[in-house]
Amino acid sequence: MSRIGVFVCQCGNNIESTVDTGQVASDMKEMPGVVFSCTYKFMCSSPGQEMVRQAIKDKRLDGIVVSACSPHMHEKTFRKASESAGLNPYKCEIVNIREQCSWVHHDTTKKIGTRKSNDLTRMIIERLKKNKPLKKINIPVNKKALVIGGGIAGIQAALDIADGGREVILVEREPSIGGNMARLSETFPTMDCSQCILTPKMVEAELHDKIKILTYSEVEKLDGYIGNFTVTIKKKAKYVDESTCTGCGECMEKCPFKADSEFELGLNKRKVIYTPFPQAVPNIPVIDAPNCVMLTKGKCGICAKVCGPGSIDFEQKDEFIEEQVGAVVVATGYDLMPNERFGEYGYGKIKDVVSGMQFERLASSSGPTGGQIFRPSDGKVPEQIVFLQCIGSRDEAKGVSYCSKICCMYTAKHTMLYKHKVHDGQAYVFYMDIRAGGKRYEEFTRRAQEQEDAMYLRGRVARIYERDGKVVVQGADTLSGTQVVIEADMVVLATALVSRPGADSLAQKLGIGYDKYKFYNEYHPKLKPVETVTAGIFLSGACVGPMDIPESVSMGSASASKVLALFSSDEMAREPIVAAVNKQRCNACWDCVVACPYTAIEKEEVKDRQGNVIGWNANVNEGVCQGCGVCVAACRSKVVDLAGYTDEQVFAAINAF
Amino acid sequence: MEAELREKAKELLGSGEIGVVIGFGWNKRKTRTTPVFITKAEDTDKLVFNAYCVNNLSVYLTRKYPDVKAMGKAAIVAKGCDIKNLAVMIAEGQFKRDDTYIIGMTCSGVGYKQELIEANGGELKPEIMPVKCHNCDVRNPHISDAVIGETTDFTPPEEPVGMVFDKIKQIEAMDAKGRFGFWEEHFSRCIKCYACRQVCSLCYCDRCITDKNTPQWIDSSAHARGNFSWNLVRAMHLTGRCTFCGECERACPVNIPLNVINKKMAVVMEDAFDHRSGYDPEVHPPMIVFDIENDKEEFIK
Repeated sequence: MSRIGVFVCQCGNNIESTVDTGQVASDMKEMPGVVFSCTYKFMCSSPGQEMVRQAIKDKRLDGIVVSACSPHMHEKTFRKASESAGLNPYKCEIVNIREQCSWVHHDTTKKIGTRKSNDLTRMIIERLKKNKPLKKINIPVNKKALVIGGGIAGIQAALDIADGGREVILVEREPSIGGNMARLSETFPTMDCSQCILTPKMVEAELHDKIKILTYSEVEKLDGYIGNFTVTIKKKAKYVDESTCTGCGECMEKCPFKADSEFELGLNKRKVIYTPFPQAVPNIPVIDAPNCVMLTKGKCGICAKVCGPGSIDFEQKDEFIEEQVGAVVVATGYDLMPNERFGEYGYGKIKDVVSGMQFERLASSSGPTGGQIFRPSDGKVPEQIVFLQCIGSRDEAKGVSYCSKICCMYTAKHTMLYKHKVHDGQAYVFYMDIRAGGKRYEEFTRRAQEQEDAMYLRGRVARIYERDGKVVVQGADTLSGTQVVIEADMVVLATALVSRPGADSLAQKLGIGYDKYKFYNEYHPKLKPVETVTAGIFLSGACVGPMDIPESVSMGSASASKVLALFSSDEMAREPIVAAVNKQRCNACWDCVVACPYTAIEKEEVKDRQGNVIGWNANVNEGVCQGCGVCVAACRSKVVDLAGYTDEQVFAAINAF
Repeated sequence: MEAELREKAKELLGSGEIGVVIGFGWNKRKTRTTPVFITKAEDTDKLVFNAYCVNNLSVYLTRKYPDVKAMGKAAIVAKGCDIKNLAVMIAEGQFKRDDTYIIGMTCSGVGYKQELIEANGGELKPEIMPVKCHNCDVRNPHISDAVIGETTDFTPPEEPVGMVFDKIKQIEAMDAKGRFGFWEEHFSRCIKCYACRQVCSLCYCDRCITDKNTPQWIDSSAHARGNFSWNLVRAMHLTGRCTFCGECERACPVNIPLNVINKKMAVVMEDAFDHRSGYDPEVHPPMIVFDIENDKEEFIK
C-alpha cells in the first residue's frame, strides 16, 4: 500500500476564498493509500516546505501531492524539497487548484470549489500511485558554439563566447561579416560613425584564435540535440583560394565587368570579382558566378592572369563542412520590406524616392557619393527633402501590424545628417507618432526638431508624383488640420523592418518556432528572451523582432552568457520526461519516426548473436526527446510510453474522476 | 495465363533465389480457390488464377506469419488491388521492396465472394463483382517484378460508382442521430471475433491495441461501448492506409458494412491530404507525418 501525503495550500486567500482547504485535506485523508494530509497558508514558504520535508521523514511517505498553484510555479520547489528529504522528486505531484479552480470559481460558499479541488486531487493521488521513481538524464556537452549570422549581434556573441575560452564557428551568408550595421553612416543617439565602431570588432573577431569565420556560407542542416549538435555548413564557391589570397585587390581593379552592388543597394556598381566594402572581413574577394563571363561563357579570365599568388580557381566547387557543436546562437538579423511594395509612393517609378537604408549609404563617407547628399536622378543637392515614417509598419494592409521601432530614431538622425551636410536645406518629416523610448532617445528627437530645424508634420502622405523635376508630396497635417503640398527634391521612406527571406526554412532546419511575421520566438518573451523552445539554441538581435544596435549587442552578450553557462560543465542533467519504446512489441512501422517533430526517434537494427540484422525497432534518443508525447499518440499498438506520463498513470487519473 | 504463371513460378523456384511462391490453388472439388505456398518447382502446376481468386494474399507477408517468412524470400501472386497493400507495407517498413518478388497479375475482376460465383455456375457477371473492381485503375499491376497476362484497357468511371458510394451518400444525408443509429445497429452485431483484423494485411501489429490490457484501451466485451470503440479505433488506424481491398467486410461473419466506413475515411483523406494509399511505396501515410514545410495550415507554425 502507498504512503501518500497530501498538502493543501491556501495561498493566502487566493485559494481559501473559494475552496475549503481544510475540508479537502480531511476528505483526502480518507483515500486509500493516503496516510497524511494537512493545509497551510503558504505551502511554498520556507516553513511550508519544512512541513513537507518533516512529514516525508516522520510519516515515511513514498509520494506526495501538493494541491496548490500551477506546476509552472512551484513544481521545482516541491520536487527539490522532496529530494532533500530523501524522496524521489518524480514521486512529487502538483495539483493546480488555484488557476484551474479557485480563481475561476466565485462561489464564496466554497461548495463548488471544494468539490472540484477534491476531484482534481483525487485524480492525481491515483496517478501518483502509478508513478515510478525517475532519474535525471546526464548528457555530455561538446564545448564548441555555432553562431549563425555575422552582423553586430552575431559578432558580439562570438567574441564573448571566445573570450570565455570556448571555440566558435561564425557562419555568414555574405562575403564579409558586418551585416546591416556596416551599411550605416552614423548611429543614434551619439552620432558616432558606424563603421568606426564596428570594424574594430570585425577585426577582433577575425584575429581571435578561438573564432573560425566562414563567410559566403550557409547552414544546410542541423542534427542532434543540446550539447551534441552536428551542423552541416554549405560553403559556397568563392572561386578564390582563401589560403593564398593576400587581399591585394589587383583582381578587382582589373576585372572589366560590373554588376549592381548589393551592399550599396543598387546605388552603385561593383566589379564581378569583389569584396562588398573596403573594410571587408575577411578581405578576400569572391566571384559573382552568374555575372562572371569566364564562368558562364569561358572567356576573359583576366583576374587569374593578374593574380600574383595564383589564387583564382575557376574549378572551385561548393563545399560541405560538418562540425560538432554544443550550442547554437541564431543572429540572422532583419531585412527591409521590399520597396517595390510601395508603388503609391512612387518607389521604382520616381528615382528620387529612396529607402532609409539607401539614404544611409548616401550619407556615409564610404558610400557611393563619398558622404555628399546628391539625389540619384541628376546628382543635384536636394534643397527640400521629405522623410516619411511608418512606411509599411503599423499597417495591416501591408501585412505588418507591428512598429518597426527604430525608424523614429533613424529618421531624426537622417534629418540631422542632412542638415549637417546641406546647411540651407529644409527637411520635413511626416510621422504618425514619435516613439523615442530609450536612453537619450527623446532628447535626440527633440534636438532634431528644435535645434536642427527639421519640420515635423503629423499625418500621412496621400500621394507622391513628379512635376518639373520635383517630387511633389501631398499630405495632411492633422495637427493644424490643413493639407500640405511640398515640392521636394527627394523623398526618403522609412520602410518596415521584416524578417530575412528564408527565415522560416532556417527555423525549420533548426527546429525553433517563429511567428506569423517569421520572426523567431523566444522561449518566454520576458523571462527567457534569448532561449528557444529547442534546448541549446539561443537567439540574438533583430531575427527576434525589430531592434536597435544596443539591444542587439546586449542580446548577443546574453546569448553568449547562456552558452558559456552551458559549457561550464562536462555533462548536463535534463528532465527524464522522455518517451521509451517497448522493443519486444515494436512493429517498426515508423509512424513514430515520421510523427516526431524533433527527429528524436531513429530506426534501430536488431541483431542476433552473430551480428546479422534480424529486424528493426524504433529507438528514442533521450538527449533529443522533448517529451511531447506525439509518438505515444501515433503508435497504433501503444508500445511507446512517456516516462512520468505513462498510459497507466493517465488512465488511473481518468478512472478516479 | 495460368501456364505463364506456372512457368514463371518454376523459373523463380528453380533459380534458388525464391524460397516460396504464395499464390492461389483449387480446393479438392474445384469449387473454391485457397492460398497455396509452393516451395518446390514440381508443385507449380497447383497455381491457378481466375475470378475465384478473391483473397488478398499480402496478409501472408506480415509479421503475423513468421512460418511463411521462415520459408525464405517470397514471391507473391498479386492483383493490382493486392499490390496496393504491399505498397503501404513497404512504406511502413514492414519489408523492403527488394525482399519480395511481386508477380503482378492483370485482372478483369473477381467475385465479391467465391460462393456467389459458384451460384452463378462459375461465371463472373458484373453484378457479383465488388465495388472496387468496377472502379479499378490497377487492373494492369502498377508495381511488380513481372507482369502475367495481357494488358487490359479497362478505364474506371470518372466518378466512382457502386453500392458503397451510394451508401456513403445516403449516410452523409442523415443527421448525426441517424448516422449514430445506423452504425449502432450494425456494430451491435459485432461478436469481436477479430476476423476483420486477422484477414487485413495492414493490421500487422504484433500486439493489437485491443490486446493491450495495462491499461485496457478497448473494452473487449461485445457490448455497445466495446463494439463502438473497437470498430471505430480500427477505422481510425486504417485511415490513410486502407486500400479498399474489401477483405474485412468479406471476412466479417455478421456482415458489418466495413467497406463503407473505410472508404469514407479514404475519401476524407483524399479531400484533406490529397493522398490515395497504395500507389507509392515511398510515401508514408500522411495522417501523422510531421511535415511543416508542406503543411497547408498556418496554425502549427
